[in-house]
Amino acid sequence: MNRRNFLKAAALTALATAAASRWNFAMAEGTSSIFTLAYPTSFPELDPATSFSNDGAVLANVYEGLTRYIPATDSAEARIEPLLATSWEVSADGKTWTFTLRDGVKFHDGSPLTSQAVKGSIERTKKIGGGASFIWGPVSSIETPEPLKVVFVLSEPQPLDLIASAGFAAWIYAPSSHGKEASWFNTGNDAGTGAFKISRYEPGQRAVLDRVEGYWGKVPDGAFQTISFEIVEDATLAQNMIESGQADWTYSLPYENLEALKSNPDLNVVVNPSFETLFGLYNVKRAPLDKVKVRQALSLAFPYDDVIAAGTSGFGTRAKGVVPAGIWGHDANAPIPKTDLEAAKALLAEEGIEPGLELVMTYSTSQAIEAVAGELWKANLETLGITLKLQPMAWEAQWQLGKSNPEAAQDIFVMFWWPTFVTPYDYLFNLFRSEEKPNFNLGYYSNPEVDAKIDEAAKLSGTDRAKAEALFIEAQRRIIEDAAAIFMLDQPNVHIIRADIKGYADNPAYGHITFVNELSR
Amino acid sequence: MKKLIQRLGWPGTLALFIVLFFVLLAALAPWIAPYPLQGAGGPNVVAKLSPPSADYWLGTDHLGRDILSRIVYGTRVSLTNGILIVAFSLLIGLPIGLAAGYFGGWIDEALMRGTDVFLAFPALLLAVLMAAALGPGFLNSVIAVAVTWWPWYARLARAEVLVLRGQPYVEAAQLAGVSHWRIILRHILPATGRPLTVQAALDVGPALLTAAALSFLGLGVLPPTADWGQMVDAGRKFFPARWWYSAMPGLTIFVIALAFSVLGDALRDRKGGTARASA
Amino acid sequence: MELLRYILRRTFLSAFVLVGVTFLVFVVAQVVPSDPAALYAGPRPTAEQIEKARQELNLDAPLPARFATFAGAMASADFGISYKSRRLIADDLRAYLPATLELAIFSTGLALLIGIPLGVIAAARQGGWTDRACSFGSIAAVAMPTFFLAMILQLIFAQWLGILPLSGRLSREIAIAAPLPMVTGFNLIDALIAGRLDAFGDALTHLILPALTLASYPAGVAMRLTRSAIIEILERRHILAARALGLSEPRILFGHALPNAMGPALTVIGLSFAYALTGAVLIEIIFAWPGLGRYVSEAILAKDFPVIAAVTMVVTICYVVMNLLIDITQALVDPRVALS
Repeated sequence: MNRRNFLKAAALTALATAAASRWNFAMAEGTSSIFTLAYPTSFPELDPATSFSNDGAVLANVYEGLTRYIPATDSAEARIEPLLATSWEVSADGKTWTFTLRDGVKFHDGSPLTSQAVKGSIERTKKIGGGASFIWGPVSSIETPEPLKVVFVLSEPQPLDLIASAGFAAWIYAPSSHGKEASWFNTGNDAGTGAFKISRYEPGQRAVLDRVEGYWGKVPDGAFQTISFEIVEDATLAQNMIESGQADWTYSLPYENLEALKSNPDLNVVVNPSFETLFGLYNVKRAPLDKVKVRQALSLAFPYDDVIAAGTSGFGTRAKGVVPAGIWGHDANAPIPKTDLEAAKALLAEEGIEPGLELVMTYSTSQAIEAVAGELWKANLETLGITLKLQPMAWEAQWQLGKSNPEAAQDIFVMFWWPTFVTPYDYLFNLFRSEEKPNFNLGYYSNPEVDAKIDEAAKLSGTDRAKAEALFIEAQRRIIEDAAAIFMLDQPNVHIIRADIKGYADNPAYGHITFVNELSR
Repeated sequence: MKKLIQRLGWPGTLALFIVLFFVLLAALAPWIAPYPLQGAGGPNVVAKLSPPSADYWLGTDHLGRDILSRIVYGTRVSLTNGILIVAFSLLIGLPIGLAAGYFGGWIDEALMRGTDVFLAFPALLLAVLMAAALGPGFLNSVIAVAVTWWPWYARLARAEVLVLRGQPYVEAAQLAGVSHWRIILRHILPATGRPLTVQAALDVGPALLTAAALSFLGLGVLPPTADWGQMVDAGRKFFPARWWYSAMPGLTIFVIALAFSVLGDALRDRKGGTARASA
Repeated sequence: MELLRYILRRTFLSAFVLVGVTFLVFVVAQVVPSDPAALYAGPRPTAEQIEKARQELNLDAPLPARFATFAGAMASADFGISYKSRRLIADDLRAYLPATLELAIFSTGLALLIGIPLGVIAAARQGGWTDRACSFGSIAAVAMPTFFLAMILQLIFAQWLGILPLSGRLSREIAIAAPLPMVTGFNLIDALIAGRLDAFGDALTHLILPALTLASYPAGVAMRLTRSAIIEILERRHILAARALGLSEPRILFGHALPNAMGPALTVIGLSFAYALTGAVLIEIIFAWPGLGRYVSEAILAKDFPVIAAVTMVVTICYVVMNLLIDITQALVDPRVALS
């Protein structure tokens, strides 16, 4: 390398820089019909049968289910809206559900929506048996008496209108794709009825969706023609993109930065409750947490307000039991404990707990807020002579330890829970109903009385929702009384969108999913 | 003092003092840190993310803990990390190098080809692989880095031994029927041990830099123990608006690594200087 | 003849080392305290789904059989399936490897481009202020934590000055509205093939910051090696003769001394390449660079071991092959190497 070459290279670089910035300027004009989401995780699974994670954000713009859940607001009750089904009815025993399908809906391949297509989709989803397909477990047969009428026969009473509104595994897709393998979908093919189709999928980088002609639903003026899901793991980058207008929507920015973002006139910070609760399950099978008073003492020592202040900059809310606000079955007046170290000390003394006790709390490495909760709790427990050992683990490892032998497992299992479809049953059944072999009941709590209430409520939730709700709340009160778990906080849903976006409404039933068809600039 | 400057030059002397200063910080952390409780991990939520001020000279972190105290306490982790890494590496590398160099033949071939396998990995990647397998934790990160570090000492030791083996006094001892063990322990080890130990002491800098990289990736110590690399990572999401959170520990890593590097240079220059003069 | 034997021996040893590497990676993979089947079965699997995954992944097979599968997958460059995404790892690598290689090659070039001229200048001004500044700079470059340097460069060039893009490989406008057809996976080359100067410039500006971050350490080393090599050469006879003949100083430096200092350059290429490949793990996340580093950092968080193993293998293979090529080149340039 001599000097001349060096100079040549430098000149070339300068030239290229200039060329690039001119191009950027020219292109900026043409991007207003693109809606860009800076998404912090990748989308590994694009098969509507098995997708069960962040891929839902993409698929929800491509596929539709029979119904959609609209959560309660201050002015309105929660309700289930027609989507691909226009109406439905349930038999008196809650075991036969008849859905009438929307007329004139077409899949992206041009074929019409029929009862056969619905049957075929759900049967393929069930047969593959991956992801959230278990939601269709109670369905014993599907009948198609008319092209636009589909009948589900259940083995037990279940709220099928709710199940059909699930964020995963409830999508209806074209019959031509029912014989396809997952790999066909994962290379960027789709077969939905939604307003957009997948045109490009670059794993680890982006998914690009384009509007389809002839979508059945309402399309607002100035609707977007293209959606780009940009995978940006780094919060700093995502924040930079939304601030500079390179992205129109993002989430999971540090709570601490939200005040500054709120004062930015170009941005809207949309704060909603989410359906995600943070809690710790106490290992009731292991001394000394097998004693109710010790568990109560630990819960009294938890710095609830500090964790909400430090972990979520005050955006989070106190959890009132396991079912979060916005879902039916939420217990607004639950008897939850307040931080009270003196009372905690007294309870520990009553049980004869000596200083020097060591407890292990496991949590997922990827959840910063769990670490904050642990660190603050640890500081409080220190003053009671209890050492809380914080053990961050990959989720699978944490779960595996929890599922192994309860006697040798963690003392406190910290995790988030969100419902597969919107029912309190999802929380209570998975987390607190007795399990012979631990799966998600990782505190190993077992109370026949609670079990009976949960089961009874589940049976009624298709036919008598008010009664079911009362039973669910009774079960929750009992769980709080037993201090089976510590309910740390309800996580807020914070989305940051550009201020010129119109028509945005967050729906916590579909976590971090944006229905772009409803938006415009 | 004058002699020291003469031997190391003023940059080397300064570097030596910086290293000693950090050793002092580590040893006396509870007395030096303005908020020892916070340094050890105690939260202080009211002062969350405060900028540098008279109360908190270097600002506070996301739990309101004084960054200065965290850095002082982090010195303990970083230095012991660095020291343990080279110590573990010496413990593995030295015997292997000694055996390979002293016995030669197939033992040498087998040991050195095994060493080659470890050297074939780009070092940081093997450390990441190990740390990912072992899980986060102080000792695990030490082991992960040591696994990539020892082959260098094995090679160095072997090279030293190869020179020594030809020395008349070693050959004489062998002829006199002194056992291998005795020769290695009495003659070879002291002579190879010294240069290797000096090298190892200087390697504490790079070792701690590697360990910082691991903890930046979340493969280091567990919370709430303070650790520089982990602090840089935790502060990154507040950067640049709350620059102090990342910048202060980042600069600290830079300063200590620089000090070790300058010190190493000064020592090498001195050796080189004498060599040239004698030639 | 000696040379040929040397080359054969080096090649054989490299192959042996790769077998050892495969074995080591497999052994390490056995330590992972996580349940691959649960990871593979998805975010909230039922017990049946996990059991099905366990059978699909053949996790209950005896250890030797699993090693055979693993070694086979590595040898056939198939690399198996990611537990997390259930995608073929080979497919992912096809997308991510070129991105990292492009960055590694570019940063190696940058390291030489910065380090060697500075080394020559420092040597020419030996003992002067320029020399001292360069020496300090090179030490500082070596001591700087890569991840911290990345943050500082972003702050200065992207956020304060705003002259370089903060992150990514291409601007959104180009990537979405007018994507480059992928031929080689190297954006610079693909842009030239497509005749797209705009995309070329865009790709180039995106390369600069991450490449500069990765180049700082090897540039420091290159500078020091070049400096000492040139100083040594300048004291040699033919240079003294050239001086006596009245050749200009730059001409002596660049025309006569530098070609003789190619040895250090080769060393630096190897070092820089390795540094860039591993440094990628630390900085690709920071720069949202869609390469192996970002791929593997995500896999580390998820304990997705097939991905971690595959990336370790691929990078190690690149590294071993690179070292082999450098050793052979060095032997060709300077046959004394082969004899020692």
